Amino acid sequence: MKLGKHQWQTVLLFTCPALLIYTLIVFVPIIWSSVYSIFDWNGIGSMKFVGFTNYLKLFTRDREFLPAFRHTIIYTAAQIALQVFVGLALAFLLSSLPKLRTFFQTMYYVPVVISSVALCQIFEKLMSLQPLGLFNSILGKINPAWYDIKWLTDVRLCLGSAAFVEGYKYMGMYMVIFYAALLGVPDELVEAAKIDGASSWDIAIHVKIPYIRNVIVANCVLVLNGSLRAYDIPYLLTNNGPGNSAQLLAPYMYKQAFSSMKYGYGSAVAVMIVIISLVFATVFRRIFERED
Amino acid sequence: MEEYSGLKKSRLGRSALYVLAVLVLIIMVYPFFYTMMSAFKTPEEFVSKAQYALPDGLYLGNIRYVLLESNIPRYFLNSLTVMVCVLVPVLLFGSMAAFAICKLQFKGQKLMLSYFLMGLMIPLQVCLIPLYLTFGKLHLTDSLVGVILPQIAFDFPFTIYLFANFFKFLPDEVLESAVLDGCSPFRVYAVIVTPMAKNIFLTLATMDGIFCWNEFVFAYTFTSSKKLQTVTLGLRDFVGMYGATDWGRTFTTIFLTILPTFILYFFLGKYMLAGMTDGAVKG
Repeated sequence: MKLGKHQWQTVLLFTCPALLIYTLIVFVPIIWSSVYSIFDWNGIGSMKFVGFTNYLKLFTRDREFLPAFRHTIIYTAAQIALQVFVGLALAFLLSSLPKLRTFFQTMYYVPVVISSVALCQIFEKLMSLQPLGLFNSILGKINPAWYDIKWLTDVRLCLGSAAFVEGYKYMGMYMVIFYAALLGVPDELVEAAKIDGASSWDIAIHVKIPYIRNVIVANCVLVLNGSLRAYDIPYLLTNNGPGNSAQLLAPYMYKQAFSSMKYGYGSAVAVMIVIISLVFATVFRRIFERED
Repeated sequence: MEEYSGLKKSRLGRSALYVLAVLVLIIMVYPFFYTMMSAFKTPEEFVSKAQYALPDGLYLGNIRYVLLESNIPRYFLNSLTVMVCVLVPVLLFGSMAAFAICKLQFKGQKLMLSYFLMGLMIPLQVCLIPLYLTFGKLHLTDSLVGVILPQIAFDFPFTIYLFANFFKFLPDEVLESAVLDGCSPFRVYAVIVTPMAKNIFLTLATMDGIFCWNEFVFAYTFTSSKKLQTVTLGLRDFVGMYGATDWGRTFTTIFLTILPTFILYFFLGKYMLAGMTDGAVKG
C-alpha cells in the first residue's frame, strides 16, 4: 500500500510500540551483558575493568564451566535424537495411519502445552523412591534390583533423566512440523516410486526424507538453539544434580549471577552461551543445508 | 491367492500400526491421567495401594483444601492478570508492526523484519542480568510489571513472524481501493485487516497465552514476595512444602494448574497446531 507525504509518521505509529519495547528489553541488554562481561562487579560496588580475564578464567581456572559445557553438549545431542528423530518417526507413524490422525496428533501434542514446572513435578513423583514411584514399582516387578534406581540422584543418571523429560515435552512439537512437511510430499513422487516396486520403507528413506531435508535441518537448528540454552527442566528436575553432575550452562550462569552476585562473571557465561549457540547453528547449517 | 495374502498382510500391518499408535498415546498421555486420578486419592491410598491403582472413590478433601485453604487461588489470579497484560499489547502491537512491515511501503521493511526475527535466536538468559539490574533501579523487581514487560518483548519475534506470514498473502487491491476511498491506514488496519485475520489472532492468542501461563524464568527472577507469585512459582513452592509428605494435595495442585491449559488446548488446539505448521513449513 502506497503512502502519501505523511509516510514516516504512519510507519512510526504502527511500528513504534513494538520496536521500542523489543529494542529496550531484548537488544539493549545484550550490549550491556557484553559490557558487564569485561568487568569484575558484584552489582553494588564499583566496576573493575578486567578485560578478557573473565573469559580466560572460564576456560582455565573454572572447575564448573567446562563440565557444564560438556553436559550441555550431551544434553543437546540427546535432544536432537529425541525431538528430531523420534519426532520424525512419530510423524511417519501418523501419516501412515488411515484414520484418526487428527485425534492422535492432538493427543501426542499434549505434553507440549504443559508447563515445565508441572511436568517436572509429575516426573519427580513418577521417578520417586520413597514412597515408591510408578517407574520403579513397575521396573521392580521385572527385576527386584530395579526397585531402587535413583533416577534423579544418581550421578550417572540424572542428566539423562532431565534430557528424557525435556525430549518428552517437546517431541510432539517437532512431530507436528514434520507431519505437515510429509503431507507436502507430492503424490506423483510416491506413486512413481511405488510403480518401480519400492516398499514403504524405501519410499520413506529415499523419497520422503530427502524431500523434506530442509525442514529436518531447520528443525535441528531450532532444537540446537533451544537445548544449548535449556534452563528450567534440568534445573527444576535435578537442581543441577549431585555434585553439579547435571549442571548445564544456563543454570550455571544463573547461579553465578543471582546466587553468587558475580554479575560480571555471570555475564561472561551468558555471552559464551550466545557465542556457542551461534557457532553451532552456523556450522550445522554450513554442513547440512543445501541450496535448492 | 497372492492378492488375498497381500490384503491380509496389509490388514495385519494396519493393526500393528494402530497398536503402536495407541502405545505412544499411552506414553504421551498417561502421566497426566495419573496426575488427575491421584488428585482424588486419600492419603492412605498412596501408602496402601500400588501407584497405578485407580482411586476407590472420588475423594474431594484434597481439592477442598487447595481451593479454600492454600494460596493457589491467589496465584491463579496473578497468572490471569499477567496473561491479560501480556496478550493485549503483544497481539495489538505485534499485528500493527507486522501489518506495517508487510503492507505499508517504506524503506527498510525487510531490515525491520530481520531485526525482529533475530530475537528468535537470542537466548533470553543473556538479557536477564542487565534487566534485573535495570528493573532494580526502576523499582520494578518484585512487581508484576517486571514479569509482564520481558514476556511482551520476547513474544514479539515469534508473533510478528506468524502475523507477517499471514499478512503478506492479503490482496493488495482491496487495501489500495480502501485507501483511494479515503480510508486512513489505521482504519484499513482496524476495519478491514483485523476481521480477515481472526484465525491468526486466535492462533497467536492460544500460543502466547499458553507460553505465558507456563512461564517460569521471568517470574522466578523478577518476583520475590509470595503475594505476587504466578501459578508456576506457586506450584513449585507448594510442592517444596508438601511434596514429600502429602502426595494427594501435590497432585491436586498440579492438576488444577494444568487444567486451564487443557481446557484452552482442547477448545483452541487446532488453531495452535495450525500456527505451528504455518510457522515452520511455509516460512
